[in-house]
Amino acid sequence: MRYSKNPDLTGPGPAGNNLNAKPPRCKDYTQHFSLRNLCGFAALREIFLICIVGVSSVSAQKIVVGSKFDAEGRILGEIIAQHLEHRGLQVERRLGLGATLICFQALTNGDIDVYPEYSGTIEQAILKLANRAALDELRQQLQQQHRLELLEPFGFNNTYAIVVRRADAERLNLKSIGDLNSVSDWRYGFSNEFLNRPDGWPGLAESYGLRAIPKGIEHGLIYRAIAENSLDVIDVYSTDANIQRYDLVILQDDKKFFPDYLAAPLAREKMPPAVKQALNELAGTIAETDMIALNAAATIDQKDFADIARAFLQKDRPTKSMPETRAQKIDWPAIFRRSLVHLFLTGFALLLAMLIAIPAGVMVYRSPSMSRPLLYVVGLLQTIPSIALLAFMIPFFGIGTTPAIVALFLYALLPILRNTTAALFSVDPLLKKVSLGMGLTTWQRLRHIELPLAAPTILAGIKTAAVINVGTATLAAFIGAGGLGEFIVTGLALTNTRLVLHGAIPAAILAIVVEFIFEWLEKILIPKHLLQKTAE
Amino acid sequence: MSIISLDHIFKSYNDGKDYALYDIQLDLSENVTTAIVGTSGSGKSTLLQLINGLERPSRGKVFVFGHEINYAQLPALRRRLGYAVQGTGLFPHLTVGENITLLAILEKWESHRIKARAEELMQLTGLPADFSTRYPYELSGGQQQRVGLCRAMMLDPKIFLLDEAFGALDPITRSEIHEEFSRLQKVEPRTIIMVTHDLKEALKLAQQIIILHKGRIEQIGSGTQLLENPATEFVANFFKSQLS
Repeated sequence: MRYSKNPDLTGPGPAGNNLNAKPPRCKDYTQHFSLRNLCGFAALREIFLICIVGVSSVSAQKIVVGSKFDAEGRILGEIIAQHLEHRGLQVERRLGLGATLICFQALTNGDIDVYPEYSGTIEQAILKLANRAALDELRQQLQQQHRLELLEPFGFNNTYAIVVRRADAERLNLKSIGDLNSVSDWRYGFSNEFLNRPDGWPGLAESYGLRAIPKGIEHGLIYRAIAENSLDVIDVYSTDANIQRYDLVILQDDKKFFPDYLAAPLAREKMPPAVKQALNELAGTIAETDMIALNAAATIDQKDFADIARAFLQKDRPTKSMPETRAQKIDWPAIFRRSLVHLFLTGFALLLAMLIAIPAGVMVYRSPSMSRPLLYVVGLLQTIPSIALLAFMIPFFGIGTTPAIVALFLYALLPILRNTTAALFSVDPLLKKVSLGMGLTTWQRLRHIELPLAAPTILAGIKTAAVINVGTATLAAFIGAGGLGEFIVTGLALTNTRLVLHGAIPAAILAIVVEFIFEWLEKILIPKHLLQKTAE
Repeated sequence: MSIISLDHIFKSYNDGKDYALYDIQLDLSENVTTAIVGTSGSGKSTLLQLINGLERPSRGKVFVFGHEINYAQLPALRRRLGYAVQGTGLFPHLTVGENITLLAILEKWESHRIKARAEELMQLTGLPADFSTRYPYELSGGQQQRVGLCRAMMLDPKIFLLDEAFGALDPITRSEIHEEFSRLQKVEPRTIIMVTHDLKEALKLAQQIIILHKGRIEQIGSGTQLLENPATEFVANFFKSQLS
């Protein structure tokens, strides 16, 4: 949330503003001095974008709507956002924020105000309850433990379902999950989340006595796998449009093993009552068949999320025909804009890492006793999986540009620090002795002899960090930092390879360009004979 | 008044069990060339490095220019001592000119003075002026050695420390450098202390020779004195083996 410096001059704002009375000034201050405002990366990025692209978004207080990155999450997020806008509220969209962990962190941290979540996910993954819980129990626990409120469900149940090809089901007369025991040698492939959740495969296998050894596979790829006969049994969500697209059949869950996954807006308790009331107007408006159709419009017809939501909400409003399918031509301006964001994230993180890691490397060189502990700590950071590191950042830095830059910064530290210390320690001892004996001070030796001699290796470390960062920065899209990852994340959500390539190809080109830039820097910064020496 | 004095210097290692130098008492006069000669492990490099503070005595005091060394301000002292080592120790990332003038730039000399001094030194050591823009790797061993001497002489130090400075050269280049060196000493006389394992080189260049053996001074004197009146059996044998 942002507050204008001089709120009194703006006068009564849009209709929605009275719902979010501005807090007193003292509160404004605490907001100002929070860690993430101090860092101010977000502001910097905005300035950067204004300068280059000419996009500006100065805003008053808004309801921030989030969603996970999958198509259904985004459609529901759009429906929530557009409905609130229709009721005259100001809305900011933070759609496509990774999976449950990141959305939930962002919500409890106050970076978003509401996002669509499923009752089953709340029960199993968030509250980690041992038993099935009714909606009221979930509400009570969410309120007590997290100060969150689960609003009225949209009306459909998107639970897990096990599917096989229609031809197989008819040939072998498969009706329920238990019937799978009658076929052997079938290849099972499940999304990694399903494979590992207690309410996923482990529990299902026990409940129905299934003995297969399934493979874990990225959900975005799983339909193609069964369509191409690489898998025979997969997990899907029961509202998934691909069930029709690939002609699959849901096997009945006779034993009622899968819990309900009723979708509903999960909101911060502090949200104004009028907003909650507006959201509850959506209760029961989306049936399972509606959701399948909405998903189909996104993943099969490749229509825009916002257009799909608009068409749905306007069913009972004056109708406007839905725009044509998302253009199949390449969206150059978006690629350019996102490449710039990508470069900004990478470059800024790299710059910070250089400012910290090179002096730290020099310190380690001066007092070698520090070297092991420091290198261990920095090395440890490198082993944290990127998605987990991004999730850890949210409580400290919120969502958006800042946590992405901090995470990329942490990843860039090791290659630079390691190369700096290694290069300084390996400067020819004779040259160190001569520079000492000539009467150079510690600083002069560092500045004129040791650092210049170490420069080729230090530069190589920076290059490694830069190339790693260009790749890792594609994940920044998961916490709303934008960049080329947005294409990839959306493309995976829509099973749209074309869109994935929109992000993947420019990212690969960026990595190559970064290589070239560093080769050029080496050429102009370092005498040729020293480069040859390091190459040997 | 001697320009360098070592007053009962002991240098121990292995927690005082062994001595690299044992009770060294030495006074060196101005503008005299002194050679420290001995077998490897005799402590001759350690002795030389006591003078510019690269080594500190375990016991005893070192006086340079009449003052006891202030170990907190070594860079200032070292700039008044020229220092050249075996294998030249030229900085590979700096050109010949930059190597020679580095200290003068750090001392903030005016640029025309730096230029004049560098040109003078290169002429004196027989280096073509256009070498100043080349990198050390482009030069022969003898040329590099001359650059090393120019660099050490840039600030016109009154004391010059040479640690096996001519050790890595082939015999012909070496004898050329010896000629240059003797000529320089006539033009710009200095107090020179040189470490060498080559007795012939010491006899050729030094007025005074110190024979060092196992950290102790066996004998000090001119070449003729040592040759005619060796004080110990070690000195006599050393001369015999080196000059045969």
